[in-house]
Amino acid sequence: MTGMTTNKDTRVKIAGALVILLLLIIVGGLFIHQVLRHDKYLEDSENNRIRISPIIPKRGLIYDRHRAVIADNRVSFTVSIVPFERVPEVTTERLSELLGMDTSKINKRARNNFVSNYIPSPIKRGLGIDVISILEEQQQFYPGIAYSVESVRRYDTGISAEAFIGHVGEVSPEDIKSESRKGYRAGSMVGKEGIEKAYDQQLRGMEGTAYLEISARGQITGSYAGKEKVPAVPGSDLVLTIDKHLQQFISESFDSLDFSGAVVAIDPRNGEILGLGSFPGFDPNIFSGVIPSEIWQEIISDTNHPLLNRPIAGLYPPGSTAKPITAGAALEMGIVTDRTAFKPCLGKMRFGDRAFGCWDLGGHGKLNVYGAIEQSCDIYFYQVGQLLGVDTWGEYASACGFGCETGIDIPGELEGIVPSSEYYNKLYGPRGWTHFLVLNLAIGQGEFTITPLQLAQFYCGLANDGVVYQPHLLKEVLHPDGTVEQVEPTVAFTLPFSQRTLGILHRSLELVVQGEHGTARSLKNKQYTIAGKTGTAQNPHGENHSWFVAYAPSDDPRIVVVTLVEHAGHGSEVAAPITGKIIKTYLGESSEKLVINGD
Amino acid sequence: MALDYRQLDWRLILAALFLSLIGIALIYSAQYDSLRGESLHFYVKQAIWLLTALIGLAVIIHLPLRAYDFLAYLFYVGALVMLALVLVIGHSKYGAARWFAFGPLHITPSEVAKLALLVALARFQAYSKLPTESIRRLFFSAVMTIIPVMLIIRQPDLGTSMVFVALLFSLWFWSGISPLYLLLIVSPLISLLAAFHWITWIVYLVLLIGALLLIKPRAIFGIATIVANLAFGIITPFFWNRLADYQKLRIITFLDPGRDPRGAGYQIIQSKIAIGSGGLLGKGYLGGSQSQLHFLPERHTDFIFSVLGEEFGLWGTLVVVAIFGYIFYRGIMIASRCRSRFASYLAWGALTILVFQFFVNVGMTFGLTPVTGLPLPFLSYGGTSLLLSWTLIGFLVLADYYWTEY
Repeated sequence: MTGMTTNKDTRVKIAGALVILLLLIIVGGLFIHQVLRHDKYLEDSENNRIRISPIIPKRGLIYDRHRAVIADNRVSFTVSIVPFERVPEVTTERLSELLGMDTSKINKRARNNFVSNYIPSPIKRGLGIDVISILEEQQQFYPGIAYSVESVRRYDTGISAEAFIGHVGEVSPEDIKSESRKGYRAGSMVGKEGIEKAYDQQLRGMEGTAYLEISARGQITGSYAGKEKVPAVPGSDLVLTIDKHLQQFISESFDSLDFSGAVVAIDPRNGEILGLGSFPGFDPNIFSGVIPSEIWQEIISDTNHPLLNRPIAGLYPPGSTAKPITAGAALEMGIVTDRTAFKPCLGKMRFGDRAFGCWDLGGHGKLNVYGAIEQSCDIYFYQVGQLLGVDTWGEYASACGFGCETGIDIPGELEGIVPSSEYYNKLYGPRGWTHFLVLNLAIGQGEFTITPLQLAQFYCGLANDGVVYQPHLLKEVLHPDGTVEQVEPTVAFTLPFSQRTLGILHRSLELVVQGEHGTARSLKNKQYTIAGKTGTAQNPHGENHSWFVAYAPSDDPRIVVVTLVEHAGHGSEVAAPITGKIIKTYLGESSEKLVINGD
Repeated sequence: MALDYRQLDWRLILAALFLSLIGIALIYSAQYDSLRGESLHFYVKQAIWLLTALIGLAVIIHLPLRAYDFLAYLFYVGALVMLALVLVIGHSKYGAARWFAFGPLHITPSEVAKLALLVALARFQAYSKLPTESIRRLFFSAVMTIIPVMLIIRQPDLGTSMVFVALLFSLWFWSGISPLYLLLIVSPLISLLAAFHWITWIVYLVLLIGALLLIKPRAIFGIATIVANLAFGIITPFFWNRLADYQKLRIITFLDPGRDPRGAGYQIIQSKIAIGSGGLLGKGYLGGSQSQLHFLPERHTDFIFSVLGEEFGLWGTLVVVAIFGYIFYRGIMIASRCRSRFASYLAWGALTILVFQFFVNVGMTFGLTPVTGLPLPFLSYGGTSLLLSWTLIGFLVLADYYWTEY
């Protein structure tokens, strides 16, 4: 057995040997560098400067669910200044002439995008070959100016993808500091808004680095041999749940309308968003280059607010589309049964010292819940709402997913408001409001506001036996190594309704289209049954908003569609026909596909 | 008690003084501006620090050896408190080591902690009644080291933490533990690195088992070694593969900043060019300052050796290496001659810190060792580093002076 300890003489010998070894290693290293490789290093030090040039990876492509391209990249050129190589006065002056930019603006860009003395700071992106050929030919005339090929995002136009796709742009100084954006440098292009922002880490890949030798005349003479380049890792491609054909149809339907609005189409069986549109929209390609200020001014001063992402950030009263919340709550609380009928609708009814009208001033007569939803009778729901009270109604509305974010996988979502006594106390003071406000809430008016996506989510639950899947846009991630990551559907929550209640609501919503008095009976057709609800939302800014929300086929729903048309009057008149066509397009398309698959 | 000045190791002091003066000359050159024909004020500051360090040396050698021994643990606890405090209220730059600022005076607790750990470990090793190879003795000294290391790693400062670990292992070695056993103790860490490539790891494990059969350690020790190696080897790839690419990159860059092309990677390229272009005889004093190194932000601190290599060539670097070699030789001699165990450990630890920092810093300038921000003793600009180096010389001189005492 070897001893576990050593004696002092051995230790001194070992230590002495070790120190001598270390010194020899150092001397050897110095000899290699200072004698053997001296010539090469001397040449490096006299002739060359080294520029660190980032290699920008290919940004991942974005496809629809059938792998049709929604966003790809095109080649463009970027001109940058290398701080270390610039000649004071000269560089900026000449660049200013070449690009037609103010010198002050160039200096500001160079400052903002500064990373290090040896790394080019991007000044202008999206340049054509004409500018680059001038630089190429007269490099010594432009000291300290570098150019590089960089891909620029190109989005499919004509499909209104801006509601979910987002865009890319230069990282802002605040972003670089934030924890979630670590690993970005000044001048990096990053996803802003939508899918581009939410999945930026997957899309962007990893930057590589090249070491370039620059001659005294400022020309790139090749890559520096002393340090190996680090290759870039391309970004992953994304497959979205969007159906491009359907999305295009939605876009075209709205373009012919000349109204603002929103459309959400979801598969209730898994929460996959099939279509998402915000109108009017804008061309997301304008963000890829430097936006001309006229166009930017036009967009931000447009009174129709094209930058407002209506499906997830537009807040509207839901109008009658919210009546199933009221009906469901009352059925669950045992306040009504499906046979209960209240005082007949005579067009209006007095509560306290004020008369509340029904939308149909001719009156609907005596109705139970089926008829009340079919004909959207306000008088019935006033009476139900009064029995429920503000807070019970509010609890059910919250449990149906209103008043909080749906958690869709793109940023910018708003919560909306589900009023409660507490809310009214704050708003009007404890004695400043009456409990008759609940009458407005019961028919989806008043302070109750929602996003179109929340409404779509709620009807997904009604269509899917109460189970609400998490609405999402990402279907698959295609990694550069060929592996595919699937996004599994997850259950977000279940509606607070029993199967019996859900059955009653389902039947009522079918009657809206199938019944002889149904407010959307125009959509009745022979191929499949649609269940849905019209809505007309009063608003103080002008004509009523028109809503229609539907799912089909009603016995086995494959799609839920919410259509909102701003200031277009009754839901049955404008929103319902569009929704009908969207459903027809989708079911027609997918049944064709089923047949093809069947072959 | 009056010192007999003739008995002091003047040659050691002169060697250190010579290195310090070379340092000041190089700092002048590193910050020299040939257009204006003058240098920035750093060299003046360094000269003032050198005077301070010499006064410090005088104080250190006038205190009796007993005083260090007596105050060791108090000093250690005080240093730990400073390390903890600096995490909360300290200043930092470029994400590196933190310091306290008292007006123009910067105090870097991690440098103070180096001394504190040295004194404390020396005292523990000298007076512990546990047998040298007992697990408890190893455990206690390891804990004493790990506490400051954990505090410093959070700053984060990998280089300084490595000095602490090197100090611990070196003192274990000096206490008489066979280097083979020390290798077994380090082996799980090697597993950690080897496990990135499974073939390498298997080969390494086979070698390790072979070594175990050869050394035939106590059963418990052998089993612990194998288990620790397996555990580290299996855990590493598991955690590593769960990290995102950018997280991996951050860890790699932390372990080896030279891979970061935008920071230290560039510095290494320039440092190599500077040293290599110096050749045999160098470009002459002040002759190199306009070349590549002019753009190195750390040229007067971490890369001072590159300035030496560029301006004085191989002969200049060899002279400096030789002087360091002499100091190391004296260190080994002093530590082995001391009759007092405490003085011997103290000298041995001082030697370890000097050797380690010398090797890591000089190796870094031509890409052999990672860029860790460890300064070159005596030469690099910086008051704390200079004071530390001279304190270590003070310990050596002191241990030598009292070598006959028990």
